[in-house]
Amino acid sequence: MNDTLPPSLLERRGAQRQLEGQITGCAIARDSQQVAFATGEGDVMVAARADWGRSDAWDVQTVHDGAVLSIAPDAAPTGFLTGGDDNSLRRIAADGSVSELAKGRRWIEHITTWANDKGGVIAFASGKQVELRDAQGRDTLKVLEHPSTVSGIVFDAKGKRIAASHYNGASMWFVQAKVDTPRQLEWKGSHIGIAIHPAGEALVTSMQESELHGWRLSDGHNMRMSGYPTKVQSMAFTRNGKWLVTSGADTIVMWPFFGGGPMGKPPAEAGGIPGVMCTRVACHPVHDIVAAGFADGAVLMVDTNAQRLLPVSMAGEGAVTALAFSPDGCALAFGTEDGRAAVIDLSAR
Amino acid sequence: MSDTVQAVPDAKAANTLVPVTVLTGFLGAGKTTLLNHILTAEHGRKYAVVVNEFGELGVDNDLVVDADEEVFEMNNGCICCTVRGDLIRILGSLMKRRAKFDGIIVETTGLADPAPVAQTFFVDEDVRGKTRLDAVVTVVDAYNVLQTLEESPEAVNQIAFADVIILNKVDLVDEAGLEAIEKRIRSINAVCRLHRAKRGDVPLSDVLDQGGFDLQRALEHAPNFLEDTSHSHEADVTSMSFEVEEPLDAAKFQAWIGAVLQEQGADILRAKGILNYAGENQRFAFQAVHMMADGGFIGPWKKDEPHVSRLVFIGRNLNRPQLRRGFESCRAK
Repeated sequence: MNDTLPPSLLERRGAQRQLEGQITGCAIARDSQQVAFATGEGDVMVAARADWGRSDAWDVQTVHDGAVLSIAPDAAPTGFLTGGDDNSLRRIAADGSVSELAKGRRWIEHITTWANDKGGVIAFASGKQVELRDAQGRDTLKVLEHPSTVSGIVFDAKGKRIAASHYNGASMWFVQAKVDTPRQLEWKGSHIGIAIHPAGEALVTSMQESELHGWRLSDGHNMRMSGYPTKVQSMAFTRNGKWLVTSGADTIVMWPFFGGGPMGKPPAEAGGIPGVMCTRVACHPVHDIVAAGFADGAVLMVDTNAQRLLPVSMAGEGAVTALAFSPDGCALAFGTEDGRAAVIDLSAR
Repeated sequence: MSDTVQAVPDAKAANTLVPVTVLTGFLGAGKTTLLNHILTAEHGRKYAVVVNEFGELGVDNDLVVDADEEVFEMNNGCICCTVRGDLIRILGSLMKRRAKFDGIIVETTGLADPAPVAQTFFVDEDVRGKTRLDAVVTVVDAYNVLQTLEESPEAVNQIAFADVIILNKVDLVDEAGLEAIEKRIRSINAVCRLHRAKRGDVPLSDVLDQGGFDLQRALEHAPNFLEDTSHSHEADVTSMSFEVEEPLDAAKFQAWIGAVLQEQGADILRAKGILNYAGENQRFAFQAVHMMADGGFIGPWKKDEPHVSRLVFIGRNLNRPQLRRGFESCRAK
C-alpha cells in the first residue's frame, strides 16, 4: 500500500467494529434497515441504518450458547433468524428481543427464507433434515429427510421449490406438494454448498474436490466446472442469471450461463489479488456489480460490464468470512475471521 | 491426490494447530471409560469431543458433538480415498470458536475402519490449516483381543493404524498371556507405543500430545522391533522397517514412494519415516495412509544421533526385498 492510493470506500462511506471471535456470517433484513453479524462466540451485533456511520452505536448481545453457525433475514420484513451449535433456532426481532423457534438434536447449520407480498417460508437444516415452517416460524409445514447431512439449502426465486445438497448430489422438493418425493440429482461425491439460477435454469453445487457440479434443470444434463486451486466456499448468480460468480481462486471466477455456457466455455476472471484466495462473493441486487472478499481481509467491488475495480477495504489480518448486499442495494456488509465487522453505505448522497 | 508429497505447515504454524486425538477400539474394549478418564482428569484443559451415535455410555463434557460417521469416496469413487465428510464439517465449525478449547477427541464406533478418519486429515485444506492429527489411540480389551483379531479384519486395522495402543483390562489376564498378546500386537504394528491399563487408568501423557507420527519416539519405545519379523502368513498385517545410512535424494524418494503408494496403497495401511535428505540439516518426517501422503521438515537431528533414514510400512502382502531395494535406490549419488 502506498500513500498515493485514494482512501478506500470503507474509510469514506463506512464504519467498522472489532468483535471477540470470528464473524461466522452476516445478513441484512428484507427492509434493508438493519445489518446483523454473527460470531463464533454466540454473539450477534445489529447495526440500524441510522447508525451505519457510527459503529459505537451498534448493539451486541449473546444469542446462542456456542457458535452461531447460520444467519438469515427473517421471512418478515424485519428481523433475523440464527442457528447455533447449541441446536437452537432463534429469532431476533427488530427491537432486539430474542425468542427460540426450535430446539433439536443437531446443529442448525443452514437457514434460508423466502418471502413475497403474500407471505413467506422459513427453511432450516439440522443434520439430515430440512424443516419448513410458515413465515411466523411457529407451524411446521413439513420435514424433508435426506440420505446424509445437508450441506446447503436454497429456495428458487419463486419460493416454489427448495433444493438441498448432500453426499452424492442434491434433492429438489416442491414446497407445496401434497406428497413429498424429491427430484434426485445425482453425482457421486461430497457436495458442500448449493446455488440456483434465478430463472430456475440450473442447480449448481460446490464439491469437496475443489470443483463445481451443475444440472440443467430442463433435462438433467450434467455440467462440470473445474480448475479451482481450493474449495469453493461461496457462490452467487448475478441478478439476471447471466453469470455464476464464485470464490476459490485468486481472482473472482465468473461462469457464463448464456450462449450455451457454461458447457465448453472458460470462465471469465473479473479481477482479484495475485496469490490471495477469494473467500466470499456477493452479487448486487440492482446493478451489474459483484463484491468479493479475500483471504487477507481485503474486499473489492467490480463493475462486471466495465471491468472496473473499486477497493472497498484494504487487507487486514483474517480472511473475509461473511459478505452481503442489502436487498435495496444501498449497503454492503462484511466480516472477517479475526472479528472485524463493517458496513458501507452505498446510497446516493 | 495420491502420489504428491505435500508440505505440511512449518513448525511455528504447527504449534498453533489444534491437536486431534482419534480414539478407536472394539465395542466393550473401554473406549468410553478411557474418554471419561481423560475428560475428568485434572489437566486444566478443555476438550471438544466428537462421539458416534452408538456410544456405549454417556460422555461427561461440556462440548459433545454427535456425529453420524458419514464417509464418502473422493475422486468419483476411489475406495482408497474414503473420507469422513462429516468430520470436515464438524472440525470446520468447531474451529469457529477455537479459543475455547485446547484439543479435540474423536471417538469412532467399534467396527469403524480408522482409515477414513486418518485420511480426512490429508485431503482437506481447511482441516490441515487448522488442526493436526495428534495420534490414533486404539483401546484393546486384553481378555478378548486374540479372539477378536482372528474374527475381525476391522480389529486388525485398528491395531495397524494405532500410534498408541492401550491394552485395557490387564487384570483379567496373567503375565504370560499379556506377553503373548503384546507379541501378537507388535507383529501387526511394531512401531506403536503400548501401555497397559486396568480400567482406562493410564497417565494422560500416554494418550494426549503424542506428537503424531514421530518415528524416533516410536523407536525409543520399541527398540527391538527391527528384528521381530517372525510372523509370516502373507495375508496378515505386518510391519516392515528399513534403514539407509547414506543421505537420500529427495526427488528420487518422492518418485519412488509415490509409485509404491500408487501401486500398493490398498495394501499399505500406514507408512511412516524419518528421512535424511542430502544437503539438508533437518530431519524430514514422512507419513502416509493408504495412497495419501504428506511430509515436512521437523527440525535438526539431535546431538550424537546417527543421521539414518528410517521407513516403516504397516500392511498386507508387503514384499520385503523389493521395498528394501527400492528404498536403497533413493540414495543420493
